[in-house]
Amino acid sequence: MKVLVVDDFSTMRRIVKNLLRDLGFTNISEADDGSTALPMLQGGDFDFVVTDWNMPGMQGIDLLKAIRADESLAHLPVLLITAEAKKEQIVMAAQAGVNGYIVKPFTAATLKTKLDKIFARLG
Amino acid sequence: MTIAMGNTVTLEQAKLLVEYIESDQQDKADELLAEIQNPINSELFAEIGKLTRQLHDSLMNFQLDSRLSDLASADIPDAKERLNYVIERTEEAANKTMDAVEAIFPAVDDIQAQLQLVEPNWQKLMRNDIDLSGFKGLCQHIDKLLKMTDKETNNIHTLMTDVLMAQDFQDLTGQVIRKVIDLVREVEESLISMLTAFGITESMLSNRSDDDGNGEMKKSRPKVGKNLVEGPIINVEERDDVVVDQDDVDDLLSSLGF
Repeated sequence: MKVLVVDDFSTMRRIVKNLLRDLGFTNISEADDGSTALPMLQGGDFDFVVTDWNMPGMQGIDLLKAIRADESLAHLPVLLITAEAKKEQIVMAAQAGVNGYIVKPFTAATLKTKLDKIFARLG
Repeated sequence: MTIAMGNTVTLEQAKLLVEYIESDQQDKADELLAEIQNPINSELFAEIGKLTRQLHDSLMNFQLDSRLSDLASADIPDAKERLNYVIERTEEAANKTMDAVEAIFPAVDDIQAQLQLVEPNWQKLMRNDIDLSGFKGLCQHIDKLLKMTDKETNNIHTLMTDVLMAQDFQDLTGQVIRKVIDLVREVEESLISMLTAFGITESMLSNRSDDDGNGEMKKSRPKVGKNLVEGPIINVEERDDVVVDQDDVDDLLSSLGF
C-alpha cells in the first residue's frame, strides 16, 4: 500500500512515517504542502493520504477538495492530522469528504484506531 | 463699595485695570479686559491653553522617549531572531531524538529476532526433549544472542543518553521565550502610554474590542481567533467553539453521521 504524508514540518512527517511504518506501511512518500502533493498523487498510484491542514501554499482542506474533485483521485481515503480544533473546521472537513480527523497532539493508538476504522469501512 | 458699569464691571476691576496699565503690565491688562468683557470665554481660553500645553508636553516627551524607536529598530528584530532560534533548537532536538529512536528500533528488533531463534530449542531443553544437534544449535543461538545483547544494549544505552541530552533545548528555549515575553510586555506598556498621551483611555479601548457587534459584551479576544485556520488552541477552557480532545472530535463526527 502506497501512502503520501503531507505536512510542512519535516519532524511531523518523520513522526507520522515512523508510526505508519510500525503499523506495517512501508511504502511512504512525503510532500510539504497541497500544491506539491497534488501532482504527486496525480502522477503516482497512491492508496492513502495523510495530511495536515495548516500549511503554506495549498492547505490540507483544499487538497482534500481537489482530491474529491478529481475523478481519478476521488476514491482516495484521506486522513487529516491537524492542530486545527474548531468545530466549524471539523464539520467543514466532514462535508468535504474526509475519511478521518485526528487532532494534534495525538497518540500512536489513536492513529491505529482511525486507520483500522478507515480500512474496515473501505472493505 | 462697588459701582456697576454695565452688568459686570466692578470698581475693583476698573482700579486693577488702571494699575496694570500704569505699571506697564499690558498682558495682564488685556487678560483682565477680556475677562470683564466675557468671563466664560476667558475660562474657555484658559482651559484650551492648558490642554495645548499638555499636548505639547506629551508630544515632546513622546519624541524624547527613544526607547520606543529602540524597540522598533532593535528589540523587535532581535526578538524575531530569538524566536527563529527557538524553532531551530526545537527542530534540532526533535530530529536528534528521532535519530536515536530510529536507531534503537532495529537494535531491539534484532534482539527480538534472535530470541525467537533460541525459543524453540530452549523449550525443548526445558521439556528434556532435545537431541544433540538441537542442543548444539541452541548453544550457537544463545552464544549469538549473548554477544548481540551485550553489543546492542551498550548501543541503546548511548542512544538513550542522546535522547536525554536532546531535551536540553527546553532550558535554552525557555530562557529565550521568557525574554521575548518581557519585550512583548514592554511594547504593550509603551503602546498604552502612547495612547494615553493622546487621551485614549484603557477603558475606551476595551469597550471598543468588547463590543462583538451584537451589543453583547464579551471578553476581548485577539483577531487570530476570527480566522478560520488558527493552529493549536491554547485557551481551550475559555472557548466554546473548539473541541477539547480526540473524543470530542469523534463525538462531533458521529453526530454528523460519520
